[in-house]
Amino acid sequence: MTDIEFPDFDTMTPADFEKYLPEFFANGTGSVSTDPRLQTFLKNNPDCAALVRDLETIAEHAKSLFEPTYEPSDAVWSNIQSKLKQEHPNDDPPNSQAI
Amino acid sequence: MESQGIKMTQMPQMPQTKPAPALFKRNPPIAGEAEAIESAKNGDAEAFSKLYALHKRRVYTLCLRMLGNVSEAEDMTQEAFLHLFRKIGSFRGESAFSTWLHRLTVNLVLMHLRKKGLNLVSLEETINPSDEDTPKRDFGSRDIHLTGSVDRVALERAVALLPPGYRMVFVLHDVEGFEHNEIATMLECSTGNSKSQLHKARLKLRELLRQPEQPGPSGTQQSVQASGLKEVAV
Repeated sequence: MTDIEFPDFDTMTPADFEKYLPEFFANGTGSVSTDPRLQTFLKNNPDCAALVRDLETIAEHAKSLFEPTYEPSDAVWSNIQSKLKQEHPNDDPPNSQAI
Repeated sequence: MESQGIKMTQMPQMPQTKPAPALFKRNPPIAGEAEAIESAKNGDAEAFSKLYALHKRRVYTLCLRMLGNVSEAEDMTQEAFLHLFRKIGSFRGESAFSTWLHRLTVNLVLMHLRKKGLNLVSLEETINPSDEDTPKRDFGSRDIHLTGSVDRVALERAVALLPPGYRMVFVLHDVEGFEHNEIATMLECSTGNSKSQLHKARLKLRELLRQPEQPGPSGTQQSVQASGLKEVAV
C-alpha cells in the first residue's frame, strides 16, 4: 500500500472514501485498516462506517462457506474407478465400498 | 465519484496488517491422510479411495461454486481426482495436501473455462458484469444493516447469484483464502484487478443480502433442489 496515494484523511470526503475503500481492505484480513486516521474518519462519518461494517460482516461470514456443503453423486467415483482401471488394467481397482 | 479539490498525499505509514493466520491456515492435517498419501504414491488403490472420501465434498463444493453448474462441477471433480491420482507422486508436502489439491482443482476449472471460451486474461473486459449487475453505491442507507443478520444459506444463495467474474474472485479470496497475488497469477490479471473485483463482489453481495428473499424458479435454492444436488449437514 505504500506506493499508492491516498487522500488526506483530514479532507477526505465520503466519495474519496468509497474510491479508496478497496485499498483500505487490502490487508487481506477482511477488515479495514486500523489506522487511527481512518478510524477517526469512520467515527465522524456513520454512513461510511455502516458500509464498512456490512462489508466486514460479509467477509467474516464468507469463511463459514469454506466447510464443504455439497456432495457429488456416486457416479463421480464410479467414473473415476472406471478411468483408473482403463489406465492401469493390471492394478486392483479402488474399493467402491470405501466411499 | 469525484475527487476534485482533494489534496492527494502520499500515505506515509499505513499500518500493514498481515493476513490473520486463522483465515489462511484452514487446512489442518487430517487423521490418516499422510499415510494414505504415501500409500497412494505407491499405487495403493485403497489409499486412493480414502483420499477421495476425505476430500470429495470440499473439491466438489469448490467446483460448484466456481462453475455454478452441477454437471460441470461433477465433471471437474472427476478430473481433479484423476489428475490427483496421476500426479500424486509430485506432491512433496511443502504445503498442506488440501491446499495443493485445491490449487490443482482451481487450475483445472480455470483451464476448463478457458477452453469453453471464457477469456480470463482480462477480467475487466471479458467477464465484467453488465450495468444491471454492477453494485449500486448506496452506502448512505443507514436503515438496513447486515451485521448479525447474514446466515450461511442466504450468503450461499447470494454468492451463486454473483456474476461469474465477481464470484470467482470472491470464492478464491474470501472463501478459499487465496491472496490477491495468487489470484492474479491464476486468473492472469493484475492484483489491482483482483482487489477491485473482490470489492465489487462484496458490494454486490451486500446489495443482494439486503433484498427481501424472492421466491421463484430463478432462486438458487430452488435450482439446487431441482437439480438433485445433495447438500450435506456440516
